[in-house]
Amino acid sequence: MTNAFYLALRSLWFHRGRALTIILCLALTLWLPMTVHLLLDQFRAEIVFRANSTPLVIGAKGSRIDLALQALYFETVAPEQTTMAEANYVQDSGFATPIPVHLNYRTQTVNNSTAPIVGTTIEYFEFRNLRIGQGQGMSILGDCVLGSGLSKKMQLEPGDKILSAPKNAFNLAGDYPLKMNIVGVLAESQSPDDNAVFIDVKTAWIIDGIGHGHQSLESESVDDGVLLNKSDTSVTASAAVLPFTEITPDNLASFHFHGDEDTFPITAVIAVPHSRKDQTLLLGRYASVHTQAAQCVKPADVVEDLLSIVFRVEQLVWISSMLAAAVTALLLCLVLMLSIRLRAAEMQTMHKLGCSRSTVAMLLGSEIFLMTAAGVSLAIIGAWCSHLVAADWLRSWLF
Amino acid sequence: MIDIRQLKFSYPHSSFDLHVPELKIDSPCSVAIVGPSGSGKTTLLHLMAGILTPSVGSITVDEQQIASLSDAARREFRLRRVGMVFQNFELIEYLSVLDNVLLPCRIGNAISLTSQIRYRACSLLAAAGLEQHVKKSVTKLSQGERQRVAICRALLTQPALLLADEPTGNLDPDTTEQVLALLLNTVKQHDTTLVMVTHDHSLLHHFDRTIDFAQFIRTAESVA
Repeated sequence: MTNAFYLALRSLWFHRGRALTIILCLALTLWLPMTVHLLLDQFRAEIVFRANSTPLVIGAKGSRIDLALQALYFETVAPEQTTMAEANYVQDSGFATPIPVHLNYRTQTVNNSTAPIVGTTIEYFEFRNLRIGQGQGMSILGDCVLGSGLSKKMQLEPGDKILSAPKNAFNLAGDYPLKMNIVGVLAESQSPDDNAVFIDVKTAWIIDGIGHGHQSLESESVDDGVLLNKSDTSVTASAAVLPFTEITPDNLASFHFHGDEDTFPITAVIAVPHSRKDQTLLLGRYASVHTQAAQCVKPADVVEDLLSIVFRVEQLVWISSMLAAAVTALLLCLVLMLSIRLRAAEMQTMHKLGCSRSTVAMLLGSEIFLMTAAGVSLAIIGAWCSHLVAADWLRSWLF
Repeated sequence: MIDIRQLKFSYPHSSFDLHVPELKIDSPCSVAIVGPSGSGKTTLLHLMAGILTPSVGSITVDEQQIASLSDAARREFRLRRVGMVFQNFELIEYLSVLDNVLLPCRIGNAISLTSQIRYRACSLLAAAGLEQHVKKSVTKLSQGERQRVAICRALLTQPALLLADEPTGNLDPDTTEQVLALLLNTVKQHDTTLVMVTHDHSLLHHFDRTIDFAQFIRTAESVA
């Protein structure tokens, strides 16, 4: 066996161009399905983990996929807004802890990067097990915390400021950009949270224009053009009143909200039921009696539906890869048969010298084995390297 | 050494028939076989080596009845007791000079690849004037050098019988003289019997015996 391997190695080295071509053909044929399989496995694992760790998502009726994916990943098509009433309804039901998620804005571009601004409550950080890696958590309106990946991309750290981007730059009467204070950076979580800016949901409403702060209208220094009407009970100001676009300790007290909190917009409510029974009951309420305007979805079910499509795509990739592998195998058989025919004289010489047919077969088998082993090893190494390289790309694409 | 009696051989689907009523070759000696192309000279060498088996009759080589041996035993006999040299050298192009000489040890279990065998291979190459080329690829050697490598390969196992099938057929006159001298000297040194097929009648005077193959077959003459 050792001699057969030695002769096979010498032969392969001598015909290294041909051997390398066969090895590369094999490796490429195996590399593609292996890499696709590894990447899809990772895709499945990451998307399922995030979905499974989010029990219920409540939002406006419409696409359940958009609702679930927006609540999980922040980056997909925004669904219709719902209101804070849903969060309060969940709270009042006693079945679950509601975590409002407000996703209506993005940051302005810094270092060629922009990120979603997630308005939520402190419960979100506990629920996702997010820790502060640098600085501190949000404490007052206008504070924000950056995901670790975003902090690196934007090269921002606690003490820096970041601006929200208006939804429509041409709408002068619309929302104004808010300058937010970065007070902390989250520790890396390898999740979509790494690439988002977190603010309190009330800060999000300030960007919405529902809450605001402006110059005092009761001081003596207010210009006459600013005040339209003033009585004991009310003050009416003109458009000339100066709104604050940054929340500071000096102007914090001037910020206030108009209207009923139940009507304030949010994108979704992540509901964390206290038990399996509570989850079923809450789902039942949304399915039957509570409201015609909202829906309650299980992200795990939504993701499962999505993955069934991915499975079908994977099956197609497998089938096409198997076909390619079969064609390659046939071509390699042809090459080997031609090669054996070309080496008939060599085989005849060995036979004349006293070599058995089984030894000749062992020699050829060793060559095929070595080339196959090299091709398969190369494919495995290639697939693993591709997976390592593409894993980060996949994660950044997903999150 | 070689004793052939009432030997008949024919190839399947061929009109060729070889018939050797009787032939004896004593050991050690050098025998040249001459004869027209297609008369069966190479076939006789293959029968002596056990590559082919006779349809009828017997061949005894080195007191061993070749025809009665199994395939495996004939291969082992060939590896141990018979050396073969071919017209077109039949070296393995992907092996070095030394590996070509050691090939009989690598293609069967009859001879182990020991340090003694390696030493012997190097000594044979040195005797053939190839010590500078031991690690070279055989593709980089001249025709004469290649044939000398082939002779070293044939002599590695110290065979009792050396069969050479037109070993100088592809060589120029000077190289032919060198290769023939190497063959004959080796035969003398190692008490080996050399049976060589040749078309070159100018070489016949170097041999102890000459067999005109065509005439021999017709007359069934015994050569002692």
